[in-house]
Amino acid sequence: MSAGKIVRRNSLVYWRAWRTSFFLSVLGPVMFLSAMGLGLGSLIEEEQAFGGVSYLSFFATGMLAASTFQSGAFSATYPIMNKMMWQRNYDAMLASPVGVRDIFLGELGWIGVTLLQLAVPFFGVMAVFGVVDSPMALLAIPAAVLAGLSCASAVFAYTATLQTDEAYTWLFRFIITPLFLLSGTFFPINQLPEWGQVAAHLTPLFHGVELVRQVTVYNVDVSALWHVSYLLAMLAIGTMVGIRNLDRRLRP
Amino acid sequence: MDAPPVPDSVALIEARGLTKTFGNHVAVDGISFEVRRGEAFGFLGPNGAGKTSTMKMIGCTSPPGGGALRVIGMDPIAQASEIKRRIGVVPQTDNLDIELTVRENLEMYGRYFDVPREVAAARIDELIEFVQLSEKMTSRVEPLSGGMKRRLTIARALVNQPDLLLLDEPTTGLDPQARHLVWDRLYRLKQRGVTLVITTHYMDEAEQLCDRLVVMDKAKIVAEGSPRELITRHSTREVVELRLADDARDQLSASIDGLVDRVEWLPDRVLLYTETGDGILTEIHDRGVRTDSALVRRGTLEDVFLTITGRSLIE
Ligand SMILES: Nc1ncnc2c1ncn2[C@@H]1O[C@H](COP(=O)(O)OP(=O)(O)OP(=O)(O)O)[C@@H](O)[C@H]1O
Ligand SMILES: [Mg+2]
Repeated sequence: MSAGKIVRRNSLVYWRAWRTSFFLSVLGPVMFLSAMGLGLGSLIEEEQAFGGVSYLSFFATGMLAASTFQSGAFSATYPIMNKMMWQRNYDAMLASPVGVRDIFLGELGWIGVTLLQLAVPFFGVMAVFGVVDSPMALLAIPAAVLAGLSCASAVFAYTATLQTDEAYTWLFRFIITPLFLLSGTFFPINQLPEWGQVAAHLTPLFHGVELVRQVTVYNVDVSALWHVSYLLAMLAIGTMVGIRNLDRRLRP
Repeated sequence: MDAPPVPDSVALIEARGLTKTFGNHVAVDGISFEVRRGEAFGFLGPNGAGKTSTMKMIGCTSPPGGGALRVIGMDPIAQASEIKRRIGVVPQTDNLDIELTVRENLEMYGRYFDVPREVAAARIDELIEFVQLSEKMTSRVEPLSGGMKRRLTIARALVNQPDLLLLDEPTTGLDPQARHLVWDRLYRLKQRGVTLVITTHYMDEAEQLCDRLVVMDKAKIVAEGSPRELITRHSTREVVELRLADDARDQLSASIDGLVDRVEWLPDRVLLYTETGDGILTEIHDRGVRTDSALVRRGTLEDVFLTITGRSLIE
């Protein structure tokens, strides 16, 4: 299994810029939670609508899942396309005993690492803001990473079929951003019309958001199993289809 | 784990009726050839002839579409990984890791091949020296010149000490000095017993480097042999190149019969295939044909290609 070699290659490149990217992954949540959570949240006294928690708690937990989700999506677009067709790094790897599977799993593994680097500081900021207090809440980190990875696997599978990067504009404008807005990150989905609620239940981000909220600020119930299963299934399918697509692409 | 050694008698590459199609486009059409251990074997052909497609099948990065192929005595599908451990690949377009330094490129590639770290470190020092990039060791790849990148790609292909090196157009786009440096390094590798497979559309490169070669055109092999053999068989020892005004062309055409082996009327010049260039040139001048310019040169692979296909190698 050579997937670890791909992770190492990426970490070597990443290492040069880790300070900046660590700084950004702390700064991001601090700004969001201050502005939206505290600023906007102070105007919202109604806690009933948010499942009995403050708007800050509601927003922070949703935002954690949404951040990893978006980051997972982005990581599987340009950076992958660059190595696949612009720099052709994957062709170089394939001339060695490294295989298509190794490349896919290695890249996904690396995306997992970057999502951790995003989720852990985010969680730290949430703790500082007093959003989380129980050890159980730590499960929010794997939950958020899982949401990001399942999205990444699907987007990677799509990237492997693309001939240009034009489609990404559409992907972000019409899929990723609407999901971000309508999956219960900013407001509870019961504010959506009936069909919107049904649709939300089908989107992966909704399940990620719900999962994070259950382990942090709500109570965990059996639906958590369903959310986890949904995300794992998406990850598995994304990976299977992704490896097949990448093989067709790289070994014509 | 190392694959078992291959006896010397076995061809390093053996292809029978090898085919590759993309959709309904036939890129490689039933070609057969054999590459023996220690030789430098060439694929000479114009753009789109199917050279790269063939190299990718040999390198196990594209599955054969039909026919039989053995590489180092192994099956390129079932034993792809074992084959890859024993070959080095220099692709047509460099795919170095531009985010890494020269040295890191080699280190990372060594890792892909599971070369133990200490072994790799010593080998990489040697390789960097070999391709004359010592001064650039810690430099990033991006700003290197084309020739340097090419040499680094060659060094990278040697990190696993391959028995067989596949070079897809190793010097296309390089200036003459950079080309000669690459040729020199390839020659040394051959001296050390590395088998070379080279594609090119430069006949001088094929002549310089290849013991044997096949000429490819439109997905097929159209000729095969050593450069000398091919020239003897399909061309002549010497070629007279003439540039003529229109009336001189008519004059030549009227008086040339039986004088030379073959005449090629190209838009800008006329080629006379003969064993004795100087004698023919004198004869033509004696018959009163006025030439704007005249050159006697040795027959080349370009002439071979022209004879076989009626077209020139580089459009
Ligand atoms: N992945 C692919 N999909 C579709 N067609 C392809 C693919 N790869 C090669 N071809 C086609 O197959 C034919 C042979 O291509 P190939 O790259 O093998 O030629 P070549 O001899 O290497 O040419 P060049 O000198 O330009 O590198 C060409 O017509 C090319 O367009
Ligand atoms: Mg080619």
